[in-house]
Amino acid sequence: MLGYYLRLAMSSLRRSPGLTALMIAAVALGIAVCVTSLTVYQGLSGNPIPWKNDLLHAVTIDNWDPQFPARERHPDQPPTQLAWRDAVALLESDIPVRSVVMFKTAGVLATGTAGARPQRALTRVTSADFFAMFDVPFRFGAGWTAAADQGPEPVIVLASAMNERLFGGANSVGRTLRWNDMEFRVVGVLDEWRPLPKFYDLNNGALQEPEEAYIPWGWGLAAELPSAGSWNCWKPEPLASFRDFVQSECVWLQVWVELADAGARQRMQSLLDTYARDQQRAGRLPRPLNNRLTPVDRWLADNDVVGSDDRVLVGLAFAFLAVCLLNTVGLLLARFQRGAVTTGVRRALGASRRQICLQHLTEAGLVCAAGAALGLALAGLLLWGLRLLYATQDGTRDGIQALAHVAPGSITTALALAVLATLVAGLYPSWRIGRSAPAACLQGRPMGFRHTGRRFVP
Amino acid sequence: MLDMQGISKIYRTDLIETHALRQFSLRVEAGDFVAVTGPSGSGKTTFMNIAGLLEDFDTGRYQLDGTDVSGLSDAVRSRLRNERIGFIFQSFNLIPELDIFDNVDVPLRYRGFSRRDRAERIASALDLVGLRSRMHHLPAQLSGGQQQRAAIARALAGDPGLLLADEPTGNVDSLMARQIMDLLEEINEMGTTIVLVTHDLELARRARRNVHIVDGQVSDFWSLEPPAPGLHAGLVPAMMAPA
Amino acid sequence: MNWNLRPILVAIWRSPTGALLVALQVALALAVLVNAAGIVQQRVQKVGRPNGMDTPNQFVVAVSGFTREFDYTAMLATDLAWLRGLPGVVAASVTSAVPLLDSGSSAGIRNAPGLKAGRQANIFEMDEQGLAALGVRLVAGRAFSAEEILPPAQGNQALPQILLTRALARVLFPDGDALGRQVYDPLDRPITVTGIIEHMHGNWVDWDKLDHVAIVPRVPEGPQALYLVRTRAGERDALMRRVEEHMATSDPTRLLLWVRSMSSIERRAYLADRNLAIFLTAVTAALLLVAALGIFGLATYNVAARTRQIGTRRALGARRGDIVRHFLLESSLVTTAGATAGVALALAAGYWLSVTWQLPRPGLLHLSTGVAAVWIIGLLAAWQPARRAAAVPPAVATRTV
Ligand SMILES: Nc1ncnc2c1ncn2[C@@H]1O[C@H](COP(=O)(O)OP(=O)(O)O)[C@@H](O)[C@H]1O
Ligand SMILES: [Mg+2]
Repeated sequence: MLGYYLRLAMSSLRRSPGLTALMIAAVALGIAVCVTSLTVYQGLSGNPIPWKNDLLHAVTIDNWDPQFPARERHPDQPPTQLAWRDAVALLESDIPVRSVVMFKTAGVLATGTAGARPQRALTRVTSADFFAMFDVPFRFGAGWTAAADQGPEPVIVLASAMNERLFGGANSVGRTLRWNDMEFRVVGVLDEWRPLPKFYDLNNGALQEPEEAYIPWGWGLAAELPSAGSWNCWKPEPLASFRDFVQSECVWLQVWVELADAGARQRMQSLLDTYARDQQRAGRLPRPLNNRLTPVDRWLADNDVVGSDDRVLVGLAFAFLAVCLLNTVGLLLARFQRGAVTTGVRRALGASRRQICLQHLTEAGLVCAAGAALGLALAGLLLWGLRLLYATQDGTRDGIQALAHVAPGSITTALALAVLATLVAGLYPSWRIGRSAPAACLQGRPMGFRHTGRRFVP
Repeated sequence: MLDMQGISKIYRTDLIETHALRQFSLRVEAGDFVAVTGPSGSGKTTFMNIAGLLEDFDTGRYQLDGTDVSGLSDAVRSRLRNERIGFIFQSFNLIPELDIFDNVDVPLRYRGFSRRDRAERIASALDLVGLRSRMHHLPAQLSGGQQQRAAIARALAGDPGLLLADEPTGNVDSLMARQIMDLLEEINEMGTTIVLVTHDLELARRARRNVHIVDGQVSDFWSLEPPAPGLHAGLVPAMMAPA
Repeated sequence: MNWNLRPILVAIWRSPTGALLVALQVALALAVLVNAAGIVQQRVQKVGRPNGMDTPNQFVVAVSGFTREFDYTAMLATDLAWLRGLPGVVAASVTSAVPLLDSGSSAGIRNAPGLKAGRQANIFEMDEQGLAALGVRLVAGRAFSAEEILPPAQGNQALPQILLTRALARVLFPDGDALGRQVYDPLDRPITVTGIIEHMHGNWVDWDKLDHVAIVPRVPEGPQALYLVRTRAGERDALMRRVEEHMATSDPTRLLLWVRSMSSIERRAYLADRNLAIFLTAVTAALLLVAALGIFGLATYNVAARTRQIGTRRALGARRGDIVRHFLLESSLVTTAGATAGVALALAAGYWLSVTWQLPRPGLLHLSTGVAAVWIIGLLAAWQPARRAAAVPPAVATRTV
C-alpha cells in the first residue's frame, strides 16, 4: 500500500508545483537553521572522549582566599587549576592507572637548516602519561617514558601541522631541533588530533587548538619555563623568582587522573581529602574542604563550555522551525482540502479513515523528506557563511570555524527533524482529512466546517 | 439486502435543525431494482448516504445483508462499503488526475487484491461498459456519458452486491440517460441489487419497484411490471460503441 | 463605510484552523522579534562602544627572543629607537598587554592598607610613550617621564606611581579626586596616583571591569615583547608593512611573531558578539518573512474559497473598497489576535531568558515597535490578495463554480 500512497503523493505534489515548492522551502528553511545551530551546539557540547568519560577525572583542590571564592560565577567550585606543590604531591599516588600534570608555555622551534624560518610553537609541558591517557594518535614514533620526565630528557613530540612546517611532513623521529635555546630530539609525531572542546585545558578558550609541541614535565622546573596559559594568584606573597612562583599559592597547572573503577575513585577522593586536611593542619587551605574528581562531561559543564548565546541560538532555531512548520500545516490543510472531493470518492469506494490518513501522511512525509534534504544542503551553505563570518583577518583561527562543518551529527539531526516535521506538520492535517465525513467531502465541505450553506462559508 | 427501520437523521447547525429523514423505513430485497424519486430536499441523498455507510443516523436500525451496521467501527464500515457496495454519483466523481484504469483501480487497491487480480477485474469491468480501449484516457478526455460508464465500471469492479446510484443521469442528455439505464438493467439482470435515485419518472418506471420520498419519509410505494426485455436489448451494443 | 466585524468574526469562527495557525505564527514571530531585538541592540551597543584609543591609527608588533645570545634589553632599546625614528610614527611603547587582545593580567588594587578586598583592574606595564601610543586622554595629572620607567622585574616589586582610568578611580575613591592619593599593592606598599585617564579598555571584552585599567611605569618581562605603535592618520598600513619587513630580518636572535592593526584586534575581540547580532537579525528577518507568507497564504486561500460570495456581494452593490477593506480587516484581526498572544509570549520568554541567562529583557519600546512592525507586515501581506478579491467581477455570482 505504501507504494500506492507514494505514487498518489507524487502525483498530488506534481499537480501544484508552486504550492509544493513553497511547502518544501518552508520545511527546508526551518530544518536548515536548526541543523546549522545544532551542528555548532553539538560541537560545543559534545564530549570529545566519550569512551573514557567515566575513567578520566580532572583533579581540583580549593586552595583559594578564605574570603572570596576562586570562581565568581561558580562560588561553590574550587579553582580550575592547581598550585605546583599540590599537583606534585598528588602525583605521587599510585591509585590512578595514569596521571598527568601539565601546563602550556611558549617556545620557538628551529631546525637549524639554512634558510628555514624558526617557528613559534605553543608547547605543552606535560608528564609522560598524556598521550596514552587522552588516546592521542601518533603518526610516527611515540611519547616518552616517566623516566624522561625525571631527567628531564631533551625529547619532543610534534603535532602533525608543526611537523609539516618544519620537516615537510616527513618522518622526523630521531631528528634534532632547537626549542628556544635547547637541543631536543624528536621522538614522536602526532596524527591529526583536534579534540573539540579542548577538554584537558579549557583555560584559554574551549575551542583552542592543541599545542604544536610537547616536552617532558621535568623541563618546567629545569628550564624555569613560564606559563603561557592562565595563572591566578590570590595570596600576598613575594613572587620575585620562578622558585617563589613554584612555592606560591598561584594556580596554573592542569592535573588529570585515570581511575580504573569506582573503588579507585573513592580511594583517590579520600586521598585528596586526607592530603587537604594535612595541609590545613599545616596552615594552608583556609577554605572548607572542597576537593573534586570531575569526569569529562561534568568538567565541560562546570566550565561553561556551552555559553548562553549558544543556547539562545538553538532556541531561536527551534522557534523558527515551529513557525515554518505552522506554515506548512496551513499549506497542507489547504492542499488536502482542495482534494477533498477526491477523498470523499475514495471513502465512498471503501477507503477507511486510517488509509486516508496514511495516504496524506505519506504526502506530508514526502514533503518533509524533500525539505530535509534541501535543508541539509542549505545548512551546508549556512555553515559556510558562518565560517566566513568567523574568518579573522589576522591569521588567528576561531574555533567556531572548526565546528561549522556538516558533520555526521548534522545528517542525523536533519533526519530526526524530518521525522519530527512530518509528525508535527503532517499528523494534524492528515488526521483531519481522514476524520472528515465522506458525505461532506463529496459535497466539497470537508473538515467539519460549521455551516449550513452548500459551499464554503458565506 | 437492505433493511431500514425507523431511521431518523437530523442535521444540526447553529440555528436550525433539519430533519432530513424521519422514521424512515425501507426494505430492499436482494436482486431488486428500486428507483427512488421525490422532490428536491426530500432526503433522497441522505438516504443514499446512510444506505452506503457514508453517514451515521440518529435513531433507528439498519441491517445491511443481515448485519446491523450501527456501532461498527470505521474500519469495518469501510470494508463493507468496499466489498458490498458500489457508488455512482450524479457528477461522476471520477478522480480527474487518474486515468480510467487507475480510477477503476481505486476500490480494488483498498481491497488488497494482487496486481494480476486487479488488472483482470479492471479489464472485465471496462469491457462490460465498453471502455476498454479508453482505459489510459483521463476523465477529462471522455464525454459525460463515457465518464458515467467509467464510474459504473469502477462501482462494479469489486463485484458489490448493492449498487447505489444517486441521480446518475442528472448530468447527461436523455439519450445517454436511457443508455445508462439499459446498462443498469443489464447489471441488475446479472444479480446486482440496485437503488437508483432519479428525477426522471420515465426512467423510474423502468425499475422493478418505485419508492417515493417526501419530507424524509417514504410516502407510498408500488412496483411496476418489468418492461419487456426485448424492447431495449438493441440499445446496449449501440452504447458500447465509442460515443 | 461598513465596519461591521460580525460577518468576519463569524467566518473565522466557522473555520478557525487557518486563522489559528497564522495567529500562532504571528505570536511566535513577535516573541522572537522582540527578544532578538533586545539582544541585538545590546550587542550592537557593546560592539560600538568607544575604547578611548586612536584605533584606526594603531598597530601592534609581537616579537620573541629565543636564542642563547638574545639580549632582551638591547633588543628593546634598538627596536624602540628604530620605531620612534620612523617618519609617520607618533609614538611607540613596549607594553605588557594590548587592549582587547584577550590576554594580559589583572590584579586587585586597594585604597587602604590591610584591606582584604581590592578592586580588580587590568594592569598595563608601559614606558614613557605609553599614553601617547594608546592615544588616550589624560584628564588630570601627568604621564610618566623616561627616568621613571622601572626595569623589568619578576613578581610584585614596589612601584612609586600609577595611572588609573576615571572609572577605576571612581570605585577606588568614591568621595572625590583620586589624583595624588595612595593605593596599595598586595604587600601594602603605597603607590601614588599621578594621573587620571579619561577612558580606555583593558584586556577582556566580556569582563564587566573592562574599563578599570591601571598603567604602571615598568618595562614588561621578556623574552617576548609587544610594541604598541601609533601613526599619523592614514599612514598605518604602509608603516605596518615597513615594520614587518624590517623586524623579520633585523635581528636573528629573535622571531617576529606577528604584526596586527588595532582595528583587526578590536574586530576579533567582538567577533562573537557581532556574529550573534548578524545571525539573530538574519534569522528573525527570515522568520518574519515566513510569517508574512503565512498571512499571505491564508488571505489568498480565503479569497479563492469565497470568489462566488465576493461576486454576490459585488452584485449586491459592494464597492471594490468595501471588498479590500473586508479582507484587510479580516487579516488584521488575525494579526491582532496573534500579536496579543505574542506580547504575552515575548514577556514570558524575556523574563525566562533574563532569569536563566542574564539576557536583556524586552522593554516597552521593543514591544510596541514589534507589535507595530508585525501589524504593518500583516497588512502588506494581505494587500495583494485583497486587491485580487476586489478584482472579482460581479458576474461570477451568476455562474456556478
Ligand atoms: N450537511 C448538511 N447540513 C445541514 N443540512 C443538510 C445537510 N445535508 C442535507 N441537508 C438538508 O437535509 C435535507 C435533505 O437533503 P438531501 O438528502 O440532500 O435532499 P435530496 O437529495 O432529496 O435533494 C435538505 O433540507 C437539506 O438542506
Ligand atoms: Mg440529492
